[in-house]
Amino acid sequence: MNYPVWFVPTLGGGLLIALVAIVHVFVSHFAVGGGLYLVLTERKALREENRALMAFVRTHTRFFMLLTMVFGGLTGVAIWFVISLINPAATSLLIHTFVFGWATEWVFFLVEIVALFVYFYTFGRMDDRTHQVIGWIYFGAAWISLFLITGIIDFMLTPGQWISNHDFWSGFFNPTFWPSVFFRSFLSFMLAGCYGFLTATFLAEETLRQRMIRYSGIWALASLLLSLPAGWWYLATLPTPAARLVHGASPTIARASTVGAFSLALLAGLLITLILLRPQARTRVLMVMVMIAAMGYLGAFEWTREAARRPFVINGVMYSNGLLASEAPRIDQDGFLKNARWVQNREVTDANRLEAGRELFLHQCFACHTIGGFNNDIIARTRNMSFNALRNYLATIHGKRYFMPPFVGTDAELQALAAYIAGGLNHKPLIEAKGAGGDQGKELFNDNCTACHGLDQIKPDLKGWPRAKIRAALDKLSALNPDMPDYTGTAADKDAIADYLAQQTGGAP
Amino acid sequence: MNPATLIPAADTLTAPWGWFQSLLLLTFPLHLLAMNALLGTVLTALAAHLLPGAPYRRLSHELAKALPFLVAFTVNLGVAPLLFLNVLYGHLFYTSTILMGLFWLAVIPLVIIAYYLLYLYDFKFRQLGNGALCILLLVLAILVTVGFIFSNNMTMMIAPAGWGRWFATPGGTLLNLSDPTLLPRYLHMMIGALAVGGLWAALYASIALKDDPETATAGVRLGMGIFSWLSLLELVEGGWFLATLPPEVQRLFMGGNATATALFVAGLLLALATLVAGFRQRVGLAAGLTVMLLYVMAFMRDTVRTGSLAPYFSLDKVPVTTQWSPLVLFLVTLGLGLAVIAWMLVKVAHCPKEVRE
Ligand code: HEC
Ligand code: HEC
Ligand code: HEM
Repeated sequence: MNYPVWFVPTLGGGLLIALVAIVHVFVSHFAVGGGLYLVLTERKALREENRALMAFVRTHTRFFMLLTMVFGGLTGVAIWFVISLINPAATSLLIHTFVFGWATEWVFFLVEIVALFVYFYTFGRMDDRTHQVIGWIYFGAAWISLFLITGIIDFMLTPGQWISNHDFWSGFFNPTFWPSVFFRSFLSFMLAGCYGFLTATFLAEETLRQRMIRYSGIWALASLLLSLPAGWWYLATLPTPAARLVHGASPTIARASTVGAFSLALLAGLLITLILLRPQARTRVLMVMVMIAAMGYLGAFEWTREAARRPFVINGVMYSNGLLASEAPRIDQDGFLKNARWVQNREVTDANRLEAGRELFLHQCFACHTIGGFNNDIIARTRNMSFNALRNYLATIHGKRYFMPPFVGTDAELQALAAYIAGGLNHKPLIEAKGAGGDQGKELFNDNCTACHGLDQIKPDLKGWPRAKIRAALDKLSALNPDMPDYTGTAADKDAIADYLAQQTGGAP
Repeated sequence: MNPATLIPAADTLTAPWGWFQSLLLLTFPLHLLAMNALLGTVLTALAAHLLPGAPYRRLSHELAKALPFLVAFTVNLGVAPLLFLNVLYGHLFYTSTILMGLFWLAVIPLVIIAYYLLYLYDFKFRQLGNGALCILLLVLAILVTVGFIFSNNMTMMIAPAGWGRWFATPGGTLLNLSDPTLLPRYLHMMIGALAVGGLWAALYASIALKDDPETATAGVRLGMGIFSWLSLLELVEGGWFLATLPPEVQRLFMGGNATATALFVAGLLLALATLVAGFRQRVGLAAGLTVMLLYVMAFMRDTVRTGSLAPYFSLDKVPVTTQWSPLVLFLVTLGLGLAVIAWMLVKVAHCPKEVRE
């Protein structure tokens, strides 16, 4: 509300961040692990006085430089560009808090660049010892970059003591910092092995190719195995609400985690098969599949981390839509529109209700919902919901669905937002009064239940239930499904819903 | 609508603002130097392609080798000032970034493309033939476009009066085209960049290529020619830029503010001295003067920013809660990092030119 919103209705910012971040993460982790891979392989070549192997290291360095320096460096800048565009308030908070952490990281970035250039352009010219030292400098600088960035990234997930003391070091060495450092380091080594795989397949000489493929494979496999306990440790240190999200309370996260676990298994399986069981299966297609699986593993991890802090960008501090949690109570009293900067309607009136609702949507919901877009489309999500259903839903949106922030503002503002979504977007009538007798059960159902499921969705579950059983269930919905809150209506309301459901599903009266 | 009501609140600083200001003004000219060297080298290489003779062929090949480095350092040296700019002016900068979001994002793919094209130019120089010319033209067009995007953002962030346009056009497609300072400022940046870049190419030729006197001479002649004539043009252009600045800001340079006026006078004198050195083909002298000039220009540019923002925002008003230890960490790391870099460069300098058997 402090900032304007970059508003392209069908394009969600969240998706853009995720895309850029995943690409960057994949390349930047490789930039770290690859450094170690290069120096160690160079050392191997020196020890064995193997010229063909040395030539391999050199070619791999060139590929490494072209990929990490250009693409890695610029996608890193890209993340920064994108987050300041989509989450300006959070970016500002992060930058202000950690400016010198970032500045320190920049120094290592500079050292990295110089070291990599020197390493590549002096191959075969510089004496071996110094060349190796340069390689180690590169790897050291790259790993410290990872170390520094991890502190800042995991701060967003678990700010820890920082919330009360605002101390740089408390925020940096936050509760998930160490597990994350280990996990990321192993993942970076794993990626280095995977890329090594790929370049090794281009080696001309048969025996060397076989050796390097096996060598890279063992790298990847060992790092992968080491990453498993680190990943487990990481999950174990997540704070409770986030842990609940990861374990299934949010559908998107549940999906991502499954994909992650699945590709992990696939990757391990492929690698083992490839290297140990069926040596003749070492084809490039398989290598590419290994890469894709590795990308899935890392991607799912990042996605989970991004999503696990919902509804916050900075856990417990700032919601995804840029609102400070500490400000919410005051704004509920004063009104959101009065306090916001980038709005034109300061007060809700009958005449401007839809327009004011639109502004509320833009500043509170658009961070996660597109309008008619591919990602989390609000129109599709609310198609079943009446105006009243939306009003009920918004009043307790955070309570019902932890991963969404609460609606912040006055009651009139809440009505305006509901009106915009129901009337403005879904073209539904905005009737507030309860309908005449016969429709009451239907209306109550629409208002209180359709936020999560339409009638069609639960019909199969209710097949054959007598009315009395339905009525009894309504007293304790959470017993049916732990994700469903108990219904708080009166006994008469429950009777009406039970009548309606029984009639719809053909249950006995 | 009163534009002041749109300006977001600035977040708390973790050190007195003077630190950030100094770091910004220290690192930004370095970005400018790298960016100028990049643009000017592309232009010089382009010109060398068009001129007849073997030395010019070799010159363009030699310049090609330097180009990927220049992109890497332009980007890296852009990160530091971007960070400090975010700290001091983030609330203004993010706002204008959102207003022009689509263009701003385009910077990334554009720079990536230019980068890869320059590597192609370097690694495949011999095979490319006349294709090289097309590559250079394309890269130059891309870089000039990126510069335009930057100038838009830098002028829009200090002009809140135009921000209200967002309500009608929230899709991130706004530019700052109606601002009278945009075009002269942008041209000032670009002409200056190409000029300084020509000087850099001359310097590079005279130092790195001294084993091949013919090529080195060709480089110096071409580079200094570009530098001197474009600098002359820049002097005239600068007058136009000054004339378009808001009157309050102009007044600062004309005696309204002692520091600003001193900067202006120093800039003018340095510019004249640089011109003389340029036309006399004194490469080293011209380079030394130009670095000083660049710093003076960066300080003047900052005065323009502070002056234009005066009705809306002043750094004095931003809350500060100092924590020194992270700052110390940074300064120590910077010292160590520079030492390591220096050590590596010494090692490179002592490295034999030939690949050993
Ligand atoms: C932090 C991100 C976030 C914000 C902010 C957010 N939502 Fe959601 N919303 C979600 C996610 C995630 C889902 C569920 C997607 C899924 O089922 O895969 C969802 C689902 C919904 C649904 C479908 C019903 C349900 O509970 O699944 C509605 C309606 C909804 N949101 C309305 C809103 C409104 C209105 C706002 C603004 C006040 C808002 N949301 C703000 C993330 C968000
Ligand atoms: C906050 C979301 C939410 C709300 C609100 C909600 N439900 Fe549910 N409900 C669920 C979920 C999740 C399930 C499980 C869906 C599935 O298994 O596909 C469910 C399942 C059900 C089932 C099927 C139970 C079974 O045996 O699987 C019934 C019946 C039901 N809900 C009734 C209601 C009624 C009646 C209301 C309104 C008073 C309501 N629900 C409101 C989330 C909700
Ligand atoms: C390689 C292509 C680039 C070119 C041609 C370029 C060009 C420019 C130009 C012309 C300006 C001055 C604009 C003005 O004041 O009117 C500028 C400023 C700036 N650039 Fe770049 N730039 C490039 C890449 C980058 C990158 C990748 C970054 C960040 C990582 C960056 C960071 C900055 C910053 C922070 C400023 C403003 C500093 C200030 O206002 O104090 N640049 N750039």
